[in-house]
Amino acid sequence: MKVSSLLKGPRTLFLRLTLIFFAGLVAAQYLTFYATMAERNDVQTTFMISNIQREISTAVALLDRVPAAERPDWLPRLARRNYGFILGPGVSGEAPDQKLSAEIGTAIEQSIGQRYPVVVNAVPGPTEHLQAHLKLSDGAPLTIDIRPLAKMPLSSWLPLVLSVQFVLLAVCSWFAVSIATRPLNQLAHAAETLGPDMTATRLRESGPSEVARAAKAFNAMQDRIRMYMKERIQILAAISHDLQTPITRMRIRTDLLDDETERGRFQQDLREMESLVREGVAYGRTLHGAAEVPRRIDPDALLESLVGDYEDAGAKVTLSGSIGAPIVTRPVALRRILANLLDNAIKFSGAGELTTGVLTDARVAISVLDRGPGIPADQLEAVFQPFFRLDTPREGGAAGGNGLGLAIARQLALAMNATLELKNRAGGGLEARLILEKPV
Amino acid sequence: MEKVEHVLIVDDDRDIRELIATYLQKNGARVSKASGGREMWALLASEPPDIIVLDITLPGENGLALCRELRAGQWRTIPILMLTALGDETDRVVGLEVGADDYLVKPFAVRELLARIRAILRRARMVPAGFERAETPQFLLFGDWKLDTVGRHLIDCEGTMVALSGAEYRLLRVFVDHPQRVLTRDQLLNLTQGRQTEPFDRSIDLLVSRLRQRLKDGAKDPRYIKTLRNEGYVFSAAVSPQEGNQ
Repeated sequence: MKVSSLLKGPRTLFLRLTLIFFAGLVAAQYLTFYATMAERNDVQTTFMISNIQREISTAVALLDRVPAAERPDWLPRLARRNYGFILGPGVSGEAPDQKLSAEIGTAIEQSIGQRYPVVVNAVPGPTEHLQAHLKLSDGAPLTIDIRPLAKMPLSSWLPLVLSVQFVLLAVCSWFAVSIATRPLNQLAHAAETLGPDMTATRLRESGPSEVARAAKAFNAMQDRIRMYMKERIQILAAISHDLQTPITRMRIRTDLLDDETERGRFQQDLREMESLVREGVAYGRTLHGAAEVPRRIDPDALLESLVGDYEDAGAKVTLSGSIGAPIVTRPVALRRILANLLDNAIKFSGAGELTTGVLTDARVAISVLDRGPGIPADQLEAVFQPFFRLDTPREGGAAGGNGLGLAIARQLALAMNATLELKNRAGGGLEARLILEKPV
Repeated sequence: MEKVEHVLIVDDDRDIRELIATYLQKNGARVSKASGGREMWALLASEPPDIIVLDITLPGENGLALCRELRAGQWRTIPILMLTALGDETDRVVGLEVGADDYLVKPFAVRELLARIRAILRRARMVPAGFERAETPQFLLFGDWKLDTVGRHLIDCEGTMVALSGAEYRLLRVFVDHPQRVLTRDQLLNLTQGRQTEPFDRSIDLLVSRLRQRLKDGAKDPRYIKTLRNEGYVFSAAVSPQEGNQ
């Protein structure tokens, strides 16, 4: 797992691009540096060899001409940084095996070999070292002791320049990549915030032409989605609205029926249709209706009166707990959320419980509990979708599935900055928990 | 019913008009029908009804405008029951503001319509003859409280909204409309419930105690709703109207 993720490299595009850029630039930089150095060494070697050739032939000619007694005096004067002369046979050894030594040896042979038989051999040691042996015209032995300097030493400021270059490369790669990936992040953010309330941020249509084009396309797509959503809601609201008149007619007609059982059945069907229509209108309204103004309310009175309304309608709803202090919220929306949740509880279990309490100084919770069949854990979030149907239908929820009740509740909760979550209760049943921020 | 009600139905949908009429006639009411403003004015002139059932969405001049005109003219004493579209909160509020006595949301059960009509008529009859029915202001003040008759909730002296259930509101409204008058349980039941079902004496007592709780009124020494043993209840606070918003 770890190894494979290491092999795949870093996860973010930003890191990947930065690494590729940086590695590429460093490799190119290294090649340049290497080529320059090789060229420099080449020139330097050629230069050194021709110098040695010229100077050594001069020096040997000079030593050959001066009397043997004067020769030692000349030796220091003829010595150079990388070679010197010794009056004597020197050290013998193998032929030079190193490339530079061999070249130098050949060069010496070429320059003075015609007049003096020269033997070149390497001197073993930690550094490159060779000697050329010859006999001067009076028969005295002469040894040229050469310690070729492989390379000219590097300047002391070179590492500094190189590290400055590295930093420059790193900064430039980071900068370029961040320019390239920033619009992607902005795009992702805008797409994420395009929520059901359809108030996503618009991207700025500026910057490099590719980015501007993507932003423009994204904004256009956002507008289209918004339009489709609006259209969908309008159609839903219009159908719901226009169904009211025929439903009203049918309701009155059924009220006029003499057959008691038939009347009961018709009325049941009509109630279901009616509640769907009611939800359709309400859903349209929550999505693009004017927001209710938050106001200070007594939350306990709201809950008690809500329970009172249910009791008066003959439903079994109980209330426990209290909040005890005023809160600022949207009372109509809050009532609607709780009513939708209670309607569900009653629909699936025949009764509902309201419990409430203060969580922290800033948050209060109101839960709607039932002892119904609950919802499979993997569908607890999905039931908030409009007209969502469970794979395994819950008993009692025959025709309308979940309709729009939960979708409306979630929508309203979002709009009032509250969270609404469902979870299955220990011992069976469902808990719908609404958490309100409590700005006092 | 001691008296046959005369109901004027104003709705542009012929079927709904006819169906409501049939039901109301079956239950002993007299019914006139109008499809819009013009027919309504004509009928009013020839035979003024006891109550007008007015649809809010009418072609031409809509129900709200008609309601406003009715309230401004010689027919201002006739109670109006508004029929509104589904959950149209704004229409409802506006409907009550322009002077409708009550509203009913379509689709409704005709039985409910009949009950509402009768409740409104009973309330209207409790106003002593010769008194002009006053237009209901949005806010009624009593003690530390303000009752919002449009939003149907209480507001305390700090401006905090205290919600009321439907039954609590109707009961409080009866008290506030009849201050300093002894109201028997039967009367209260009549005026709040709308329909006369089985006697439900206990539920009035329960409702009164719930209402006292809302008003933060103790049962021992109540400030607003006093109990008269064997007689009923009396709302003892003075009520004054407040016009306009807040």
